Amino acid sequence: MKSTWNRREFLKRSSAATLAALAASAPVASILNGCRAHAEKPSADTVILLWMAGGMAHTETFDPKRYTPFEKGIEGNRVLSTFKSLPTALDGIQFSEGLQAIGSVMDKGTLIRSYVAGDMGFILHSRHQYHWHTCYEPPQTVAAPHIGSWIAKKLGPLNPVIPAFIDIGQRFTVGEAEELKAFHTSGFLGNEFGPFFIPDPSQGLESVRPPIGMDSRRFERRNQLYNDLINKSPVGEFGSDYQKESLKRSMEQAYRLLNSPESKTFDLSQEPKEVFDIYNASGRFGLGCLLARRLAEQGARFISVTTEYEPFKGFDTHENGHTRMVGMKQMIDGPVAQLIKDLDKSGRLERTLVILASEFSRDIMVEGRPDARVKEQVDQPNVLSDMKFYGMHRHFTDGCSILMFGGGIKKGFVYGKTADERPCKTVQDPVRIDQIHQTIYHALGIPEDANYEVEKRPFYTTPDGKGKPLMELLRAQ
Amino acid sequence: MKTKSTLKKSSGLSLSWIVMIRVAAVLFFVSVFLIPSFAKENGNDIENGYWLWIFLGKLHPLVVHFPIGVLCVALLMEVIAWKRKSVDFMAATQVLIVVGAVSSVLAVAFGLLLSNSEDYGSTILPVHQWLGIATMVLATITALAYFRYSLLVQRTLLVFTVVVVLIAGHFGTMLTRGEDYLTSALPSDEPNEKSQSGISYAAYDGPLSDGQVQEINLQVRTILAHNCYSCHGRSKAKGKLRLDTREFVMKGGENGVILVPGHPEKSEIIRRIELSPHHRRRMPAKGKRLTREEIATIRFWIQQGVPWPQGPEKSLYRVAALEPRMPVIPPVYSGVTLPIDRFVNSYFQKNKIIWGSVVDDRTYIRRVYLDVTGLLPAPDLIDAFIRNAQQDKREQLVRALLNQNADYAQHWLTFWNDALRNDYTGAGYIDGGRSDITKWLYSSLKNNKPYDAFVRELISPEKESNGFIRGIKWRGSINASQRIEMQAAQNVSQVFLGLNIKCASCHDSFINDWRLDDAYAFANIFADSSLEINRCDKPTGKRAGTRILFAKLGKIDSAAFTKDRLKQLAEYLTQPKDGRLYRTLVNRIWAQLMGRGIIEPVDVMDKEPWSQDLLDWLASDFVVNGYDVKKLIYAILTSRTYQLPSVGVQDAESINAPEYVFRGMLRRRLTAEQFADAVSATLQPLYPDSAVENKLFPTTIEKEIPFARAALVKNDPLLSALGRPNRETVSTSRASQANLLQALELTNGVQFNEAIRRGAIRWREKYPDAVQLVRAVYRSTLGRLPGKEEEAVAVKSLGQVPTMEATQDFMWAMTLHPEFQLIY
Repeated sequence: MKSTWNRREFLKRSSAATLAALAASAPVASILNGCRAHAEKPSADTVILLWMAGGMAHTETFDPKRYTPFEKGIEGNRVLSTFKSLPTALDGIQFSEGLQAIGSVMDKGTLIRSYVAGDMGFILHSRHQYHWHTCYEPPQTVAAPHIGSWIAKKLGPLNPVIPAFIDIGQRFTVGEAEELKAFHTSGFLGNEFGPFFIPDPSQGLESVRPPIGMDSRRFERRNQLYNDLINKSPVGEFGSDYQKESLKRSMEQAYRLLNSPESKTFDLSQEPKEVFDIYNASGRFGLGCLLARRLAEQGARFISVTTEYEPFKGFDTHENGHTRMVGMKQMIDGPVAQLIKDLDKSGRLERTLVILASEFSRDIMVEGRPDARVKEQVDQPNVLSDMKFYGMHRHFTDGCSILMFGGGIKKGFVYGKTADERPCKTVQDPVRIDQIHQTIYHALGIPEDANYEVEKRPFYTTPDGKGKPLMELLRAQ
Repeated sequence: MKTKSTLKKSSGLSLSWIVMIRVAAVLFFVSVFLIPSFAKENGNDIENGYWLWIFLGKLHPLVVHFPIGVLCVALLMEVIAWKRKSVDFMAATQVLIVVGAVSSVLAVAFGLLLSNSEDYGSTILPVHQWLGIATMVLATITALAYFRYSLLVQRTLLVFTVVVVLIAGHFGTMLTRGEDYLTSALPSDEPNEKSQSGISYAAYDGPLSDGQVQEINLQVRTILAHNCYSCHGRSKAKGKLRLDTREFVMKGGENGVILVPGHPEKSEIIRRIELSPHHRRRMPAKGKRLTREEIATIRFWIQQGVPWPQGPEKSLYRVAALEPRMPVIPPVYSGVTLPIDRFVNSYFQKNKIIWGSVVDDRTYIRRVYLDVTGLLPAPDLIDAFIRNAQQDKREQLVRALLNQNADYAQHWLTFWNDALRNDYTGAGYIDGGRSDITKWLYSSLKNNKPYDAFVRELISPEKESNGFIRGIKWRGSINASQRIEMQAAQNVSQVFLGLNIKCASCHDSFINDWRLDDAYAFANIFADSSLEINRCDKPTGKRAGTRILFAKLGKIDSAAFTKDRLKQLAEYLTQPKDGRLYRTLVNRIWAQLMGRGIIEPVDVMDKEPWSQDLLDWLASDFVVNGYDVKKLIYAILTSRTYQLPSVGVQDAESINAPEYVFRGMLRRRLTAEQFADAVSATLQPLYPDSAVENKLFPTTIEKEIPFARAALVKNDPLLSALGRPNRETVSTSRASQANLLQALELTNGVQFNEAIRRGAIRWREKYPDAVQLVRAVYRSTLGRLPGKEEEAVAVKSLGQVPTMEATQDFMWAMTLHPEFQLIY
């Protein structure tokens, strides 16, 4: 391997300023390091999370069951899938119609068909998303960090001028925004490790370039003026201390990022038109994938791209499930497949772990899980009198699909199984969220017992430090 | 000069010598370049090296003695030869030197392998490594020289080689045996002699009494807790070893038992703690070594057969007194008259600190404005204050500011919103799982509600103030340790008592003596029906009764209705005899004004204060003064202590360090709200009036705000980047440090730059001349005129007639100036 970034390499390469910034970080937490800096030799340097927000039905996507076409008056209970199943690159594995492109790259990754989401008594999308992203169920006594923040804190940026944790596509002006904000945070780790938000990938450049209307010469002049004024000021009164230093240092870093060649990474117009068009075919999410790819190439550490959560929008299909799924598949199929292909072609897939997941699945009948149903929230008749009732409208937590590619993940591998008849719940190798997190951490070389001390007690990446990676998903090194 | 015969001899042997040298060269190449690089490829991870390389590495200490010994003998022979002026030893010397050279090559190779497979983490290693390599090179050159050059060259090189090998050897010794391996034998270097409150071991003749067992055991556990638990405790068990219970101590770690009762000399733990500090197997591996007395205590304890009490163990943790205490105020001392200063004076005397002079008027007025109202003083007010010649002008100023009730409330609202996790938006409101207390809180601050009443109304609330103990309820089922009754118990104890029972609400705490039943019994006060105890979220079927954390404060009637129980709790907690409640409050206020508490962290009130007397006096005086927070603030702000020059620290960790010594207020950064308000007031309002959450405040609010103050608006990306917490959990202090995300928000954030842009239009209209503009902006932002050089730089950047862009950029630079951003 030519470029295996481990921590020592990182220390060597990143500038002293960045390091000082990292080391001087004074979050509430003091370091109580895991036993070793790295559990194993890492197999991944970068993580891209493709977030299917709103609950993506497994039977309509990566785990299709018997197809029942719509007829007026059909019993809902008879409907397991509303699409045909089509073959994929893997023998005997079929995907729901509309996902052929992703199907064609499955020889490069692993399909998990047995993710079991948390059972939290009552469905609240943002709460289940909180659980998926932090591994903790809210509320918590301390603010739990997002997985991206853990990674940013533990490993730091791969390229010092690119923020370690970048979150693409979620706006916070939608319903449940406050609940979404609750987990899009670095929690007690301190906001230095929080997400760098790019709500609209086509506007990515705006976040990392000088303010609107300011050319680079003026930007440079402004920065120069700032430094000159500080240098000429009577410093005696409040000489050097960490606050002043950290302010100056942070301003320098910001200036460097905004003035660096890497900032071009955020500019999607630099991409060749034919490539841009493939990603752009489905709008914001597709462009998010493109931006993620460009950022991964420039050394971002953790990137999340979401189809965006907004109540009753996107994958949150409370009605017209079938019709809307056609659109959602169009949104994800091309860009996700293209992302994998591009990363593979450039060789980056070897060191980039891509995960596609959702907070839970959906079903036409069962709300919650078969053995622990929860309060109904969807108006769904048992007999489908109208096309708008044809689709997976209830929230189902007992069987969801996750895709993983690259970064040491097995190729062409399928893990777990759901029942072929309703309830289409997990029947083999159930997977929990702490296992998913630990698998990601393991690939990155973050030990299972990684923790920081907060209020005098250790707070682990997964509850009580107990989660274990799913070694079955990883290639032997 | 060589004789002919030796020359002949050596040339006769030369072929085989040359072969040997070639072999050495090949060995050298293989060992120095190939083996280590190959080894790296195959397992550069420290723990996962290939066994052969690890094995060879371990041979380094063995092999390394060959070149040392052999080269020294060679030198000895040369010295003898030189004395005798003979060449009899030449052949032998040559052999020795070649052997020395070859073995030095091997030693270097194995050494490099060893350094790869073991983590020394020492700065000595590179020195040793390069000296070793230098030895190898020198030895090889010397060996070559012994077949070519003059005797003088040969001997000089040999001397060099031997000197270098000895130095290399010395560093190697320091690496494995510790830097003081040699010097430790000298009489001056005694181990750390700082004495513990010791027991006389002579008194322990014969079997120990129960009390003595408790005592010695407590001492040992204290030593272990302070020095070992961080790696060998509940949270971490390095080497599979834990030292926190008898069972684990006796069991030992992955390398077997660590002690033999009755036999300290056979006990691994003793061997390890007695190793010299830089030995890599020394324990504790990090941090200070144990004192001689601590080692003696552990030895004695093992000698006695590892006594461990049968029943309950004595507490390891410091527990602060609950009762209030009114210490005698120390005497007046040259010009130090106020009580606070007299306590600080005693502290200064003890710590040999000399009083600094008080800060100038400009600094003082800026401080008190920011601390009382959160606003910067207007330039005219600063000038007037400086011109004012009255003796007590500082007292007058503080009094006047404290009487600006609305400004005061709008500033302190931020602190209390954080602490009571009250916000205008946030998780939980969506399902009615949370309610806000804004109206109540604002009015309480504005009216300076006595603190005892303030606490009572939060604990035993009417509707308008019930948001605090109601907690945040998310839709669905929640972890038992997070049910709202438990949230209430956790938050009440954290905020009002500086006590953490979060651990104890899931299992018996590891960080203090609070147990699961204590937390449940306390939570039951808030519960309509007694809660079933869950241990780590698993039901136990048990119940804990109903009681207050400190039994001395009173007995809660468990049969009473919740409302009445809360009333009882509120009464009990706010009694004057609950010294803890008032110490917690005065410490929080002190920390807000001085940058650090008398106890820090402010939520751990069992920790040792830097002055117990000062803390106790402030708390008792606070009660005497009718729980008046403003009076407390007045006393602090007018003290000479507050007026000392601010102190900077190099790193944030040192603020919480146990060695912290108080010398004056710590320099702080403006909070998110102070910064936003400072920009709004001096340059351009950041928020429109419509951004204020009017509906949540009393109807008079519109008339009471000078502009849309940041404490009264919803959280947003700018405030959040600057450190305003999302108030889902209690937050009692904010990080004072800048970071990249903040800097980005300030460098190109739309909201901030837009305000600057609008501000520039206004300022440029008002001051079309560059010099005037620069002076006005300096006065407005920093409260002073620019220095000559500052003015020159600024005017130059603006040009004679400032352009729009240049004005914006100048104003931007001023708001990011450390002098603007810091409270100093």
